[in-house]
Amino acid sequence: MSIIYVLIPIAILFVCIGLGIFFWAVRSRQFDDLNKEGMSILFEEKKQNSAQTDKDKQPPQ
Amino acid sequence: MSYSGCFHCNEVIPKGSDFSLDIEQEQRLFCCPGCLAVAETIIDQGLGDYYKFRTAPASKAQLVPDQLQLVSYDSAEVLADLTQNKNDQTQIELSISGISCAACAWLIEKQLKKDPAVYSVSVNSSTARCSVSWDVKQLKLSDILTSISQLGYQAAPFMADQEEAVQQAELRRFLKRLAVSGIMSMQVMMLAFGLYFGEYTGIEPQFEGYLRWISLLLTTPVVFYSAKPFTLSAWRAIKGRELNMDVPVTLAVFYTFIASAYATLFGIGEVYFESVCMFVFLLQLGKFFEFRARAQARAATGNLLKIMPVSARLVQGDELIPTSARRLEAGQVILVQAGETIAADGVVLSGESSVDESMLTGEYKAVSKASGDTVMAGSINHDGVLKVTVHQALASSRLGQIINLQQQTLNQKPQIVEKTTQLARFFIQRLLIIALGTFLAWYFWLDQERAFWVTLSVLVATCPCALTLATPTAITCALARLNRKGILIKNQQVLEILPQLTSVFLDKTGSLTQGRFSILRSELHQSAYEEARLLALIARIETYSEHPIARAFSSYLSTEIKVEQVQVHVGSGLSALWRQDDGSSVDVKVGSAAFCAVQDQTAAAVCCTINTQLVLSVELSDALRPEVPALISALKQRGLTLSMLTGDSSAQVEEVQHQLQFDQVFKGCSPEQKVEHIQQAVAQGDKVLMLGDGINDSPCFHAAHVSVALDSGTDLSKNQADVVLLHNDLHLVQQLIEGAVLAQRIVKQNLWWAVGYNLVIIPLAVAGFVSPYIAVIGMSFSSILVVSNSLRLLKP
Repeated sequence: MSIIYVLIPIAILFVCIGLGIFFWAVRSRQFDDLNKEGMSILFEEKKQNSAQTDKDKQPPQ
Repeated sequence: MSYSGCFHCNEVIPKGSDFSLDIEQEQRLFCCPGCLAVAETIIDQGLGDYYKFRTAPASKAQLVPDQLQLVSYDSAEVLADLTQNKNDQTQIELSISGISCAACAWLIEKQLKKDPAVYSVSVNSSTARCSVSWDVKQLKLSDILTSISQLGYQAAPFMADQEEAVQQAELRRFLKRLAVSGIMSMQVMMLAFGLYFGEYTGIEPQFEGYLRWISLLLTTPVVFYSAKPFTLSAWRAIKGRELNMDVPVTLAVFYTFIASAYATLFGIGEVYFESVCMFVFLLQLGKFFEFRARAQARAATGNLLKIMPVSARLVQGDELIPTSARRLEAGQVILVQAGETIAADGVVLSGESSVDESMLTGEYKAVSKASGDTVMAGSINHDGVLKVTVHQALASSRLGQIINLQQQTLNQKPQIVEKTTQLARFFIQRLLIIALGTFLAWYFWLDQERAFWVTLSVLVATCPCALTLATPTAITCALARLNRKGILIKNQQVLEILPQLTSVFLDKTGSLTQGRFSILRSELHQSAYEEARLLALIARIETYSEHPIARAFSSYLSTEIKVEQVQVHVGSGLSALWRQDDGSSVDVKVGSAAFCAVQDQTAAAVCCTINTQLVLSVELSDALRPEVPALISALKQRGLTLSMLTGDSSAQVEEVQHQLQFDQVFKGCSPEQKVEHIQQAVAQGDKVLMLGDGINDSPCFHAAHVSVALDSGTDLSKNQADVVLLHNDLHLVQQLIEGAVLAQRIVKQNLWWAVGYNLVIIPLAVAGFVSPYIAVIGMSFSSILVVSNSLRLLKP
């Protein structure tokens, strides 16, 4: 059980790194518009895939 | 495909129109040439993905706006006022109307980034802002604005007010604090589980101590960083000898933390680190959602620049020099073209036109101006070209004065002490006295050893969590509920005041009425023609006119009718050749009775003649919104005093009064008088709601307890109002009041529960029957109950 003396500090280190990255992301304005960044992954598709995506295309609401 | 609206904006496609485009081997139909042109641009630029991924239909596209207005932004002086320079890069903030979903942001970014002169573009879809930096030597600002408008959005230069920059920074701080308390809560909760199981299965003391120390370490940033806003607010309150809701929150956080730290240090008693973290996290989360809802409401209405005229054209000799409106001085002469906003107060030097002053005066009919008449900054020139001698600079113009007036009234907003604050004050005082009494009683008379822990369980059991969560959770849920219906609330006090409302003031032009002409009745004088066809003919011809009357006919527009040689006669009407279906052409005149040379048509605003024969006369009026009578009777049923407050002094006021029967009518009011009337009502002890839309209403907004602006209103009024209705539907006023009443009921239930629970548990805790663990369970249970009760508001 004494392994937790090592593992928990390592876990805390990871938490600190995660928080650091989050702070950096907030500071570089990545969280100013949450909707857009969420959508951005859809738009970077290559053109040749478009034939396939056509099938499940939704009619505009 | 079953769906049949316009491919671009999803609105109904008018019969007889034929706008279609083949997109990826499928024919798509459009409602108007504007939407068609926009879709064509989007597809041609290879941005068709927009239609695949958007989550909301676009707004109906306008045809590309007046090029002249945009070009005036290119003058060096105007640019200097609007942009910031860094090296070779010029940076500008634009506010963009028409953004409906994240795909719009992508579309605009893609389109602008195509130009090599643009260095960077960033569009924020939730605040509808766009920040562009580009090389001004290679690309004009007007080109950027035009290319955005080709996609169907309207862009205008934007200048953020001070408050907004502060809010942006605040939002980022919120996110960071939320992240710290959220992530730390997870860690501490994990360790707490180890400790819980240790209780049952046994845990070696050195591991227990170790887990407690780690928990202490992880909780410290939550207490000292994440909970800082509560601590500061509580500190300010105590310094001012007040008690607010943040005082018990801070107390709860600190005494639980310190007791746990004490327990960790000396290895006795219990620790409650996970409770501290979760409490801070949940409170932060509630505050964050509330803050974001309000920030969004503000951002949607924040563009003050749209009201103040930005540019003007200075006449110097034979030359026209574009300049910044703010730099105009008395004595200069400016040229104002049709459709432009007049940039300064002045006197007409030459020219003739009709001018729309409704935003400033509430008068809905356009006022005709000829040389020698005074014109006001901010009013819109309709049809003619005017040369105006500037009388005073923009800052001291009538428009500037109104904006000043409204700044003055800003600090005079009637305040209402929040009920929960009063309750908290009452409760906390008693609680602290009881806790102190318990400690003293146990320490001196009962059991010295147990005194600290009994006091702690009194404090934990009565932890004001449920009490403090009662109001904010209910308010946040009520805001979300109203938001979904299209009601934006910027000032959350509104929800507390609305149930006590006694008096409602309504503006007439643009609020009760539609603020534009519509056809009241039309009379056919020649049976050889069909009435509908003639209206379509008039509509076709009127598309060439900028005059507000022209818009009254737009719903009759059909493209089947062919007209040629349309001429605009300023201040009187239009003439054209109508090519009929059989190929023959006839002369058509549309305009005032005098222009069409017909007699006995005094009531009619628009006459139509064919080959000098009168065929149709049309009466126009500014019609009431269709939902108004129902709203008025619903408000009367609530027992509210209704007053109409209008700058208009025409006979139309009596007509509206006759129809709706208000308790009081004040007509012909200046903005100052409007403020006075409302302040009088407030002084009499009424709780006042003001509904308005114009610049002239915005000073009243601060005088009233609650102010409501319509989406169709001016940007200034939307900026200043507590509540903005996103759809132009006055039924929302009723829903707003109902929502507030419902929220109040939930708050009351929550408070009853929290207070009731405390009344039961306090005697038990004081007597020492409640162990700290049971106290924690009771506290959590009542918090969960309160939160779930508030969540009921989210049900439609």
